[in-house]
Amino acid sequence: MPHQVAITIHAPIRAGSAADLRELLAELGRKGAHDGAIPFGELPGVHFARFFVLDQVGDLDGRPIPASLVYLSDVDAPLDRHLRQLAGKADVLDQVFGYCEDYPVAVPALGARVAWLRRHVVSSAVTYVNTVGRGLDQIRQEARLREAIQDFLDEPGRDWAGRSPTEVRREVRRFVASRPDLARAMSPPRRPGIVFRVRETAHKIALPLVVLVLSPALLVALPAWAVLLRWHERRDEEETKRPDPMLVAELTSYEDHVVQNAFTAVGFVKAGLFRRLTMRIVLAGVSYAVRHFYNAGSLAGVRTIHFARWVPIDDGRRLFFASNYDGSQESYMSDFIDRLAWGLNAVFSNGHGYPRTRWLVKGGAENEQAFKNYLRNHQLPAPVWYSAYDNLTADNVAANARIRAGLHADLTPAQTADWLALL
Amino acid sequence: MTTKTSTKLDLHDIQGLVARGYGSLPVACYLLFAVADRRAAQAQVGRWAEAVANAGSGHREAATHVAFTATGLAALGLPEDSLAGFSAEFLGGMAAPHRARQLGDVDEADPARWQWGGPANPQVDGVVLLYARDEQELAERERSAAGALTGNGLRLVKRLGTERLTDREPFGFRDGIAQPAVAGLGSAGNGQAVAAGEFVLGYRNGYGQLTDAPALARNGTYLVFRQLEQDVDGFWRYVEDATRRPDGSVDDDRREQLAAKMVGRWRSGAPLVLAPDHDDPARAADNAFGYHDTDPTGLACPLGAHIRRANPRDSLDPDPGTAKSLAVNDRHRLLRRGRAYGPEPRGLHFICLSANIARQFEFVQHTWLDNPNFRGRYDDTDPLVGSRLPYGDTFTEPAAPVRRRHVGLPRFVLPRGGGYFFLPGISALRSLAELP
Repeated sequence: MPHQVAITIHAPIRAGSAADLRELLAELGRKGAHDGAIPFGELPGVHFARFFVLDQVGDLDGRPIPASLVYLSDVDAPLDRHLRQLAGKADVLDQVFGYCEDYPVAVPALGARVAWLRRHVVSSAVTYVNTVGRGLDQIRQEARLREAIQDFLDEPGRDWAGRSPTEVRREVRRFVASRPDLARAMSPPRRPGIVFRVRETAHKIALPLVVLVLSPALLVALPAWAVLLRWHERRDEEETKRPDPMLVAELTSYEDHVVQNAFTAVGFVKAGLFRRLTMRIVLAGVSYAVRHFYNAGSLAGVRTIHFARWVPIDDGRRLFFASNYDGSQESYMSDFIDRLAWGLNAVFSNGHGYPRTRWLVKGGAENEQAFKNYLRNHQLPAPVWYSAYDNLTADNVAANARIRAGLHADLTPAQTADWLALL
Repeated sequence: MTTKTSTKLDLHDIQGLVARGYGSLPVACYLLFAVADRRAAQAQVGRWAEAVANAGSGHREAATHVAFTATGLAALGLPEDSLAGFSAEFLGGMAAPHRARQLGDVDEADPARWQWGGPANPQVDGVVLLYARDEQELAERERSAAGALTGNGLRLVKRLGTERLTDREPFGFRDGIAQPAVAGLGSAGNGQAVAAGEFVLGYRNGYGQLTDAPALARNGTYLVFRQLEQDVDGFWRYVEDATRRPDGSVDDDRREQLAAKMVGRWRSGAPLVLAPDHDDPARAADNAFGYHDTDPTGLACPLGAHIRRANPRDSLDPDPGTAKSLAVNDRHRLLRRGRAYGPEPRGLHFICLSANIARQFEFVQHTWLDNPNFRGRYDDTDPLVGSRLPYGDTFTEPAAPVRRRHVGLPRFVLPRGGGYFFLPGISALRSLAELP
């Protein structure tokens, strides 16, 4: 199975066309990404995708940043395949990216489009994947597997009363093996490629080594950093405004249509070298943690996030965060506050206007209303948003994988009973 | 910042409905009204300030309460900047499109089809809630209240009657057992007390913080009102049909059992966790239980049962079975004050009080009750009150060796009206009366 990659394409919009592009995206969103306005479903391996517009703004020094278009997708590797396939949807692509500077509208060649897309790819500082290596095909097959087993259990005339879990499992296995469309589930999914695994292992070892080598210098710097941190934390200004009801109305109009929602937010990094550097280091740490430890179903106890990323843009002056999560934004924010406040604080407290933190990880998101207001204030509408499995929570996807795993694992009677309880 | 010190509530400034559900005042009715003339209405609000029962006063023969919608506060002349300090949910109203989707109020339950509170209905600016010991007393109260409305710049929009209070809700189950104990309110409720600020504005909430609100909101709270019509016959017909023996005959025991599995309690109120096999009236009011240690997989009380959704107790991540889990649960509690109506159509005038509508009422409704993917399920909304929309018409009864799956559940509860109200403190009522 392939590993997953987060693609970000970020391109300036031609002067004066941002409003038209917004209009177009809203129109495409109304038609529904699922009904073919943008045929993400025809592109293999796309888990989630979205388009949004970043309006023209002045940065913290008042310098203008032009409006830009952002395209995000979480896809099965390789990245190039996705870019080529995306470029193959020329009619839609031209319509949307045609608002961007230098986009080769008049050029019929696929290569020109792919080259343009590739030129505008931006890398994430952090990419979170709920379960690394679980590809779209696997997710879909395992969802079908579960449904088929459910129906099998309820076939008329079957009575499981009095049967042992082991007997029931034996019959389920026999049923799955007898169905050509499901039989693949009798063996474990393939793991990501060897190149990927070697690279990940090397990275897992290399970073601590680098830190170890640098540790004398870091230890010397740490007290000074801590003093500076507290000085900044006391001085940095908090944003206190409540979210504009018009913005909230627009944002919520896109929420809670299916089991997942998209979250997108952008903000300025606080001025000065200290915050920029702190953010870089924290993001590197978070990236390491999600890449090597939080890569199998849970982000430090939060199991509702499918994909997430932090992406620095505009030469590091701004940072955006984007995620695909289960349930309402209210429950998402509650998860953040109750379970992940420390992690969010470490990153976002380097963002301009964030609720005041203490020692980088305390306070901040623990200040419920200030945090909820901050997120809404910085959130962006994503009118075009696609999910390949919009009725499945991350929990469901994981349970489906466990159902499959239970078909070919050695299970004790107690484990067999637990396995049957997944159904 | 979190303080664990005892909470001193300004009981004489808090409307008594926060402290009590008036079990001793079994008859009640609700009068929805609109403001027609601001000045005259303000004078009436001033009289209400003297008349409403407060949380500090003792036994009463009757009680009057009054609450306002956002349009009502505006109609009384509350300045825009003060109004804007109220929560976004309250200001947007229950029938706003996104909210209706979150609450499952779509299709048949669309606010456009409501009998009150919807976009097609006359504007509701407030509600008077009347409680009395008997029908005669209520009739007198109602006459004078109705007179107070019409003669004083207010217009009666709709009267909502209730059935005489019993301990049963219309489906036939004992109701109102699990109420949160509120810090500083003493007697009511059971278990660990929940921070007063979860139910009264102006005090520290479950995060040890003050919920955003304008100064006027101190000692007030939000009142969520939903008229929920219950298809009692449909419910019992469904469980009877779903449990017939292979020869088609009715299986009384299985019928009662399936109904209890859907609710999480037997008719008497006895919880399935403590009485898994049959009803046990001796446990009728039993409420001292958790789920995680005794029944983690739901073999006794299904994970999707109504009471296990509405109040998951200690079964929540990240550490089920611990105080941490209970603390998360406690930030999503509701003080329920509803009453049944009937006889036909029948249902519940659901009323709950909370300081944060989004984190309490809306969260419980959307994330727990009406969530088809709740607790790892795929297609199960609350078997009793779920909307089944856009999907979610399955009920899963955990069993050994294999679950019993019930598909195609009809909707048994249909919202017919509703609104978000603000239940002001007594001095806030005076302030409203004196607005320039």
